[in-house]
Order: sequence, then C-alpha cells, then structure tokens
Amino acid sequence: MLLALAWKNIWRNKKRSGIIVAAITFGLWGGLFSSAIMVGMTESMVETAISRNLSHIQIHKVDYDQNRDIRNFLPDGPRILSEIEDFGGVSAAEGRTLVVGMAASASSSYGVNITGIIPEDSKKITDIYSKIVEGSYFGTDKRNQIIIGTKLAERLNLKLNHKIILSFQDLQGGIAYIACRIVGFFKTNSSQFDEANVFVLQKDLFRILSTAPIVHEIAIRVQNIEKLDMVMASLRSAFPDLQIESWKDLAPELAYLSQNANIYMYLFVGIILFALLFGITNTMLMSVVDRIRELGVLIAIGMKKSKVFSMIVLETVFLSLTGGLLGIAIGMISIAYYGDTGIDLTAISVSLESFGASAILYPILPVAMYLVLTVMIILAANIAALLPAWKATHLVPSEAIRTY
Amino acid sequence: MALIEIDQLNKIYNTTAVAVHAVRDVTLRVEKKEFLAIVGPSGSGKTTLLNIIGGLDNPTSGKVLIDETDLSTLSSSDLVEYRLQHIGFVFQAYNLIPVFTARENVEFIMLLQGVEKKEREERAIDLLKQVGLSKRINTRPAQLSGGEQQRVAVARSLASRPAFVLADEPTANLDTESAESLLDLMEDLNQKHEMTFIFSTHDERVMRRARRIITLQDGEVVSDKIVEQKK
Repeated sequence: MLLALAWKNIWRNKKRSGIIVAAITFGLWGGLFSSAIMVGMTESMVETAISRNLSHIQIHKVDYDQNRDIRNFLPDGPRILSEIEDFGGVSAAEGRTLVVGMAASASSSYGVNITGIIPEDSKKITDIYSKIVEGSYFGTDKRNQIIIGTKLAERLNLKLNHKIILSFQDLQGGIAYIACRIVGFFKTNSSQFDEANVFVLQKDLFRILSTAPIVHEIAIRVQNIEKLDMVMASLRSAFPDLQIESWKDLAPELAYLSQNANIYMYLFVGIILFALLFGITNTMLMSVVDRIRELGVLIAIGMKKSKVFSMIVLETVFLSLTGGLLGIAIGMISIAYYGDTGIDLTAISVSLESFGASAILYPILPVAMYLVLTVMIILAANIAALLPAWKATHLVPSEAIRTY
Repeated sequence: MALIEIDQLNKIYNTTAVAVHAVRDVTLRVEKKEFLAIVGPSGSGKTTLLNIIGGLDNPTSGKVLIDETDLSTLSSSDLVEYRLQHIGFVFQAYNLIPVFTARENVEFIMLLQGVEKKEREERAIDLLKQVGLSKRINTRPAQLSGGEQQRVAVARSLASRPAFVLADEPTANLDTESAESLLDLMEDLNQKHEMTFIFSTHDERVMRRARRIITLQDGEVVSDKIVEQKK
C-alpha cells in the first residue's frame, strides 16, 4: 500500500513529473547512445587494426623492434611457422617477409613497407583482400605482381597495370630493385596504412634476393580471443627465444582505448546522472512543499518519520526509474537498430580514416552496462531523495496541518 | 481513573519578540464516553490545548496523562506510535489522502498499525458503512462532498480503535445539513460505541450537542459546564 501510495503520489502533478521523466529519459538515452558510439568506434578501430595487419599475435626475433634490417629474420622461420600452424588455440598463421624500401613511379617516389606474403595464407589473417577497390588480389600467375593502397597510388600518380619500382637493401647489404606491375588497389579505413604499405608475393622477393624462404614476422589469429593470454603463455613457453607479442603489446594506444572505453562510458553517464540528480531533487522538493499539510497529517495520525522518509525515497526511485528505464529502453532499441544498420559517417570519413576508424560506425554497448546503469539510477535517486525526505521528516505536524 | 488528566498546563510561544501565553494553568479531567467541546474565540488557545492533548505539541510546563501515561515522558518516536494506537484525529479540512479511495484512506492507518490486509479491508468497509458511505467506498475524496469527506475522516479516526477522538473544528467547512448529519453520526458513535469525542470549536451547532463545554479565554479555562443535551 505504501508502494501504491508512492507510485500514485508521483503522478499527482503529471506535468511536473512528466517533465523530469522526459529529462531523465532523453538524458540517459543521449548518454547511452553516445557511449555506444564511443565503444563502437573503439571496437571498430581495434577490430579494423587487427584485421588489417596487426593480427592477434605477432612473433619476431627478440631484437627486431630495434633493428628492422632485412637480415634480422627469424632463424629457421618456415619451420617455426609450420609448428605454430598446428599449435593449440591457433586458428591460422602466416609468415611475412618484411622489407623497408622505396617505391618509385615515373613521377615520384615514397618510402614504403614492403610485405612479402602468400595470398592464400594471408587471407586467413587479414582482410586486405576484401579491401580491393580496383583490380584483383594477386589474381594471375604473372611474376612481380603488387597491390598498393589508393593513397599511395594518388601520391605516385599510378594506375592499374602501371609499373612501380621497389628498391631496398638486399641480404648482402647492397641495393635490390624489382619492377612490379600493379594488379590491384586496396583502400582500408586507415589512409596512413594505405599510403605506406605495399604487398608483393613472397616468391618474387625470394627470387630477387636469391634466398631460400625467410620470414621476419609470423602473424597469428587465435581461435578464441578470450583465450588470447593462454595461447600467448603457451607460445612463450614453447618458443622462449622469440619475441611474442599480442595486439595489445603491439598497439598499446588501441589497448588503452579498448580497456578504458568502459570507464569513460560509466564516467560520461555518471556525469549525466549527476546533473539530472539536481533536477530530480528539485522536483521532489516541490512535491514535498506542495504536500506539507498532507505530510503533517500523516505524521499526526501516526505515520513514523522513517516511513515518511521511505515513502519520499520510494517516490524518487519510482520517478527516476520510470525515466531511467524508458531511457534505457529507447537506448537499447536505437543501439540495436544502428548496431545492425550502422551509422553512415562518410561525410567525415577523411578525418575518421586518419585515425583508423571506419566511416560506418556500429554503436555497441555491453549488456552489463544496462544493469550497472539501473543500479546507478537507483543510487542517484536515493541521493536525490535525501534532501526532500529530510525536509518531510522534519515537519512539525501541528504547524504543517495548518499550512494552506 | 480519568481517561485524560491535565495538570497545571502552560504553553508559551517565544517565536515572536513578545512571548505568547497560549495556554495558561489549565487543569482538567476528561472521563471516558464524554462528548466535550472546548470553545472560545479565535486565539483563545483551543487548538493549542487540543494539540498538546493529542501529543502534537509539547507543553512548556505541566502534565498530560492519558490512561495514566505521561505524554511528556515519551520520546518523539514513541509519541508518534502513541498517537497511532490511542488517538483519533478529525481535522477541519478533512485532510484525506487524495490519491486513495475512501476505503484506502480508512485502511491506511491500520496498515501503519500492522493490521493484516483482509482484516483491514473488512474493518474499513464496516466503518464506512457505519458512517453512511457504503456506496462511496471506492470513491476518491475529490468526488465526495465536504460532508462525505468528513465522514471518511471520522471513519479513519476510528479505524485505529483509539481511546478518544480529537476533532478540531470538524464542522467549520460544512453546510448546516452536512454539519448536523456529521454531529448525529458522532453522537451516535459516542452513545452506542462509547467513543469519547473532544471538539475544539466555536460552532454553535457543536456546542448545542456537547454535554460538557469548557470555555477558554486567553488560554485560561473560564468555565467548565456540564450541560443538558439540546437538539
């Protein structure tokens, strides 16, 4: 009955309650949706980076970070690669031959990272093949095929089937040249990546370098991302002399964003709730002031102050939860809708791509967030109720009864 | 033993620059089954005296004993409980809970007492029948006339099975017909159910029904008369 009274009381002034419910609803919806966009963007940046070239785990020679010389390849790399392909928890692995060099066209030149790959293996690790916007992904049997990014093509003024000259240090310390024909252009979400990376077939590199297969980097996809740390530990144990790093080690800025996205999200929504708290307190204070005589009567006829306090808290919680749950519901629906269709931000795609985010954003919010938010609303309501409830319980019934 | 014993009661308000002696050396006894009116002009201290008897206000000095319980010995929280269990209130402006029906208003006080739902409902319906509102049980106060609202307030005051009912100007907002009808009801409850009623009033209609009239002037009892009941 006390619950019923509290619920009925909040709807006595429908306009006033409606306004604060609307404020809570739209405030929370805005907070949730913004958070979902933020989380979606972070997830997109992480997933895009992993799919583009990062992979889940990379293996190098211990000092490769300090010395990216072509001669600093993994000793016995192909054998290690073969072992890793059969390693527990590993979904796929590819060996990459990495060379830093210059790409030159008839009109210009630019420093690039040249990656020698086996396309069939690479397809299991990266999604570059799906980012081909013109031409094909090593579709022919011809020698010296190359795919380059659209950004580099613009810089070097290159078209499909044009030739491009790559020059780089060979294994003996000299300079090697290879004239490649462009068979495809890729366009990823990162214009920086597209400008600085080219892909050639490993066999072409080995032929130019006159070497047996060499591998500088083994990129790995794990079967279950939740078990990444476990796979890492097993690999480190099996290959103690190699540098084994997860995507979090390789891209700490992304790991930081990913790990802290939830904290920012809670902080953001918390600030919104904090601001709403003043509105809720004001509404409830007005409600108490409007009912001074009635509350005085309740205390006079024998309603204990603790019950009066509980009633005001209940009213505040009901009011806040009505707006809060509506906000959560609208948030869930809109996040689910745009999570499926995506939000097209192609109008600002240039700036988004400059830091590796997709132009189509898919808002996403962990389910736990909704539960935590409900608890946060109840907590905020309890805080907002303190002042009005205190005022209500400190009424002097003999005076309150005579208030008109 | 008297139901209410008031001994040398004084109430002085110091809220303004000049102290106001609202109740001055009041000593009186109220027996069970009385139908008593405290009368006097505005500002004579009627409501203050009623509030002190009802435990809504504290005296500056003196004592109020109800069924031998000295109200001054009770804490604020105990006073609330005491009011709930022993005193019924009827106010001038009815003061019902507007979002509740007549039945829920009567039930609410029993809820505060911890009475079981089924018993609450039965007693509330029974009381509303007693006050002549059997057809208005599920009606909200806004849809009731002033007289009907005051009848609900009377039913509410009786719901806690109090030792006595304090009624502060209960007929002040009622037309003659409603006032007479309400007084009929209260007299009936007094005579048939031996309920003690103490009124604070300056309404002639109440004074005509009262069997004892205590007159206050400037906070002092200036007369205390047992009167023949007249209609």
